[in-house]
Amino acid sequence: MNFWFSIFRQTGRNLRQTWTTQFMTCLTVSLSVLIFSFFYLIYLNILSAGDKVTDDLRLVVYLDEEPGPEMQEQLRLKISQFDQVQEIKFISREEAYSRFAEQLGDNHDVLTDMPTDFLPASIEVIPLKTLRSLSQIKLFSEYLATLPGSQKVQYGQNWVERFYYFTQLLSIVVLLSGVLLILTATFMVASTIRLTIFARQEELELLKLVGATNNYIRTPFLLEGILQGLIGSLLGLTSLYILFQWITRHFSGAGFLDLFTFTFFPPGIIATIILSSIVLCTAGSYTSMQKFLRI
Amino acid sequence: MTEAAAFQTAMIEIIKVGKSYPPNVTALTDISVSIASGEIFFLIGRSGAGKTTLLKLLCNMEKPTNGLIEVAGMNIHQVTGNKLAKLRQRVGMAYQDFRLLTDRTVAENIAISMEVSYKKPQIIHNRVRNLLAQLQLEDKHDILTGDLSRGEQQRVAIARAVANSPALILVDEPTGNLDATSTEQVMELLIRCRNSGATIVIATHDEALYRHSTHRIMKLHNGRLDSLTRGDGQGRPNTAEATDDTEATDGSDDEI
Repeated sequence: MNFWFSIFRQTGRNLRQTWTTQFMTCLTVSLSVLIFSFFYLIYLNILSAGDKVTDDLRLVVYLDEEPGPEMQEQLRLKISQFDQVQEIKFISREEAYSRFAEQLGDNHDVLTDMPTDFLPASIEVIPLKTLRSLSQIKLFSEYLATLPGSQKVQYGQNWVERFYYFTQLLSIVVLLSGVLLILTATFMVASTIRLTIFARQEELELLKLVGATNNYIRTPFLLEGILQGLIGSLLGLTSLYILFQWITRHFSGAGFLDLFTFTFFPPGIIATIILSSIVLCTAGSYTSMQKFLRI
Repeated sequence: MTEAAAFQTAMIEIIKVGKSYPPNVTALTDISVSIASGEIFFLIGRSGAGKTTLLKLLCNMEKPTNGLIEVAGMNIHQVTGNKLAKLRQRVGMAYQDFRLLTDRTVAENIAISMEVSYKKPQIIHNRVRNLLAQLQLEDKHDILTGDLSRGEQQRVAIARAVANSPALILVDEPTGNLDATSTEQVMELLIRCRNSGATIVIATHDEALYRHSTHRIMKLHNGRLDSLTRGDGQGRPNTAEATDDTEATDGSDDEI
């Protein structure tokens, strides 16, 4: 009889004898994976939505008066001194008026009595994609405010700030649930294995006395840890996928979810979550066994 | 294997071994004896004399407080890890309290000592059947050991101890719960193992077991070596201190 044949037989026997405890552990692991993956999925989707929104990010510098061609060149130079930008566009008073009228659509007649130069001239600055963090955007906006003739700088501050803080909050939740996953999975598996060891102490002692090697005693427990990690994470991810399908089916095309495409984890992340779960559960099992084998 | 060849090397060397338990219980004091390969060795004495303690030291279940114990040339209390596991695979022990897994069948209990040394399933199956036949337990193959009588459990424990064909077999009170016929079967089995080259140490206070034997008999009293004699096969212990040399045996060892 070779080593692995004996080990698989032992593992099968253990699982049969302690299946209720094993099942409860699997459920706990899957719940931990589900909680973590749920927040992580939202986080990833919000980040990708944020990327799309910041693709449209532009800073508008309102000017006291319309700059002439020479002044435009000077301003262009000044802006480029701070950082390279993707595009700088000067908007004249008339152009601002026609844009506004266009935005009003059918209601544009409210502007009939207004002079075409009542809106201020402005510069539209589209930063490079590398300018992503809130502090960088703030710095750039403060710099633009110091330009000669600058009246006010706008980039949807409130919205950008709220979005930024929301993603910060989400990353904390993801981090916390990640830590929770690590602690719960490791602790639960370690406890289960400890209970199993306790229940089978007599047998394990006997195995030692008849000459079983530490690997012979330990490996079935490690396999149990691997199985708990694998099955637990697969259950958790499958539940999340079902939940994801339900959400996309019931909420697609409506309001908030219409802002971005809600996508599931790519295969790389799925594999990483499963692998991490297996590693954690095996580590929990290993530590319990080490304590026993040291006695 | 001839007895002369088997006796050339010592299987067990016990040198000035003592064992104490806290706070101040002395179980063994200054025990020294050498047991040859292929020998049947009786360890006798009243309850509490230290027989079981000595067997526990020999199978490395416990460590001596002082002294040296060598089994097959190895100081067993310095061997660790896989080497210790390999050594234990060569030592079969039938415990006084049997140490059977009561939720497993008779066959599973006997097989356990062979499984740890990765014997092939067919070999395990045949060996289990064969041992059960020798001990007249064929019909108990699939019975849980928890459902057996004490006598049957004792025979299963002995079968497990010899199953892996170990080089050293330690048996603690092998006939405590057995009738005369079962005792005879057990002793025949142990002698067959000895004939295959195993060294056998039997701890007992059953005089019927060793009275007519020609094997060496060590008597313990309050943890001390009281006497080391050789049976004369007539029920009269030899008063001279027995040695483990070949010449001392008269070839009638197989009598019970």
